[in-house]
Amino acid sequence: MGARRAVITGVGAVSAFGVGYEALANGLAAGRSAVGPIRSFDARTFPTRVAGEVPIEKTNALFLEKHRGVLLHVGEAGTWEESGLLRDRKVCFGLVAAAEAWRHARCGTAERKGALSIGLGLEQAFLEDLAEELDEGEIRVGAGDLAGGEGVRFRSRVDLTAEKIRSVVGLSGRVAVHASACAAGGMAVAHAASLIERGAADAVLCGAADSMVNPLGIGGMSRLGAPSPRAEPSACRPFDRRRDGLVVGEGAAMFVVEEESRARARGAEPLAVIAGYATTQDAYRATAPRPDGSRALAAMERAVRRANLTPADVGYVNAHGTGTPLNDPAEAKAIRALFGDVPTSSIKGAVGHLMAAAGAIELAACLLAFTRDLLPGTAHFEEPDPECPINVIGPKPLAKRVDYVLSNSFGFGGQNVSVLLGRPR
Amino acid sequence: MRLDGKGLPIVAVSTLTTAGLSGRGLGRRVFESNHPLPSEIDAPAPSRPEDVRQRKLMSRAAWFSTLVMRGALTEARWDEGRAEIGAFFGVGASGAEMDEVARLVAASMEDGRFSLARCGREGLDACNPLFAFQIMNNFTLCHGAILEGLGGPNAAFFSRGSGTVTALEEACASINAGACERALVGGADTALHPVTMAELEREGFLRQGLKPAEGAAALAIAATAEAPLGYVEAVRVFPVDRPRGALVPRTGVLRDAAVPAAFDALEDQPCDVVVLAPWGAPAREALMDLPEMLEAELSVDASLSLGESLAAAPALAWALALDLLVHLDKPRALVLSAGPDGDLGAVVLGKGGA
Repeated sequence: MGARRAVITGVGAVSAFGVGYEALANGLAAGRSAVGPIRSFDARTFPTRVAGEVPIEKTNALFLEKHRGVLLHVGEAGTWEESGLLRDRKVCFGLVAAAEAWRHARCGTAERKGALSIGLGLEQAFLEDLAEELDEGEIRVGAGDLAGGEGVRFRSRVDLTAEKIRSVVGLSGRVAVHASACAAGGMAVAHAASLIERGAADAVLCGAADSMVNPLGIGGMSRLGAPSPRAEPSACRPFDRRRDGLVVGEGAAMFVVEEESRARARGAEPLAVIAGYATTQDAYRATAPRPDGSRALAAMERAVRRANLTPADVGYVNAHGTGTPLNDPAEAKAIRALFGDVPTSSIKGAVGHLMAAAGAIELAACLLAFTRDLLPGTAHFEEPDPECPINVIGPKPLAKRVDYVLSNSFGFGGQNVSVLLGRPR
Repeated sequence: MRLDGKGLPIVAVSTLTTAGLSGRGLGRRVFESNHPLPSEIDAPAPSRPEDVRQRKLMSRAAWFSTLVMRGALTEARWDEGRAEIGAFFGVGASGAEMDEVARLVAASMEDGRFSLARCGREGLDACNPLFAFQIMNNFTLCHGAILEGLGGPNAAFFSRGSGTVTALEEACASINAGACERALVGGADTALHPVTMAELEREGFLRQGLKPAEGAAALAIAATAEAPLGYVEAVRVFPVDRPRGALVPRTGVLRDAAVPAAFDALEDQPCDVVVLAPWGAPAREALMDLPEMLEAELSVDASLSLGESLAAAPALAWALALDLLVHLDKPRALVLSAGPDGDLGAVVLGKGGA
């Protein structure tokens, strides 16, 4: 590695525990789960009725103005609400988390030259608007008169959140939108570190935002059979013998990542060093992870190597741990093969699977290892599974001081990313 | 990013346009005004059993991407060690089949209105259970990687232009860092999807001359190669200021940004060929004086011939430029793309020895 090191100097989060990083940190430190019945839409007839839902029913101008503070111009959020932009919950979550990270790192004018690297989930389609255009079994949308009227949005563009963060924060650097499904958040943070290390940026606002807690998101995942069929708060039980699926979550986590010497020179306090990262592809099937976990193992191995460490240096693995029958054994095999008995947990039982934002919220959770000497627990884990032969931390967090932690994220389609964080010196 | 020495070798290229699937010849066809106008592409149908199976899970762009990835791999003769080959692509919007969406919505109607309760009870069951795989943006990259066994470093960037340039930059960075020795890089997209067309209309792009198109292109790049087609000498995204809340910069601001961007990318080296990829009239006006300022012998406006295919547009322009270098025996080309995301992408390509 070169002399330039990437450090995290600010963090912001929105999760099922509430708005703000402290809500996430305190919830995980208390070993609680925030999964519960869906409230933002009437999901009573849907196959999945629980989620790791951010505890607000509507994302609107009021929500943004309450949490965004001075970065918004007067009336700006109201205009966005009128034009339907805030119906996509991840736009609001991303903006709020970005503002918190920006303030936490005490960024100023100089950091506005920085880049934005963000993982975002797929477009939110608005079925009720599309329904207005239904004509004899066909949806007639397109150019000209078929483009919809005032306030109509057939979908929100993938990069809408990035566009708004760039504009509101006033960033003048490059913008990269990672569209790598559940690996997007981890990839965005890894990309930020790469930009810093190779001198392409001195500061990067990075992370991810997503929400699939909407009729098509929840419905589409249900059709795939990915969520647990149990509509209970304990529906997601990563690595547990009785696990039967994931729980959809939503939210955002954003970080300010800077070149270390520059960050220290301006008085910013590093929360963690991004010591290593790597990506691989399963190249197996569209519908399932590679059962032997070999490409996930390759990503973890390479992240450790890039950090100039050995597996024994890693004191905690934050697993992708979806709680699905197929993911957990494959990942467990890979973790066991590389790290042996290292303490491992998944926070998806507590906050749900944040999809594109999963890697980001889980990296935010990993900061607990350095800020509070706590390794997050695995909510609802009770019965170990011989198919997952790893040292799973139970529902309560483990008090332990470690210097390096590794976080995995694996996307639908086979994209894998591992990010390795180190305790700042 | 300026690449050391001659740059990173480009071993192969594959494009899918209205002229079909081809390895070379795009530049010559455009240069000779012999390229079919942009319209819906008559893409080859899947024939291999695994393609037929997987095509059902694919969007149109994902199938395009698979075709050009396979084309580039074949031309590069990269049959071995595919598990270590990287893949970096600019990908576009969700390409959900409208028939699927219509079935879901139609089955969710009650008394002439969309009913959430009915959607949960009956609507969801009316569409393909694997519908979600069709709509995931990253599957434009992943289907090809799965079918061709590419297991190396990878990234999918959402792109309306600069995301695809970022994909090239990250592929180069990945090779430079030793994360892989070979990578496929490119973009695939369709701006002809009805919802994308509505989006472009609402955003005002169609009124300003954006010609929606579709297509795909992939380059095979490597750390080293004997007699490559060409080299990536430099690649960089240049962010351009725009008024708060505006989608794209003003024409004058884009023009003022394009000049230093071009010189910065070239680092004062001469440039024989300039290929521009402006999304529409305002961007075209901003870039039109550049070839003369750079004293280029030849300039081509890729968008006039190929239309605006969003995530695919920059990659098609690179393929076009590379082919012109080979066809006209010129040493260096600058490709400047200005997509509807408002930023500039600059790529400098050098001619190889093939």
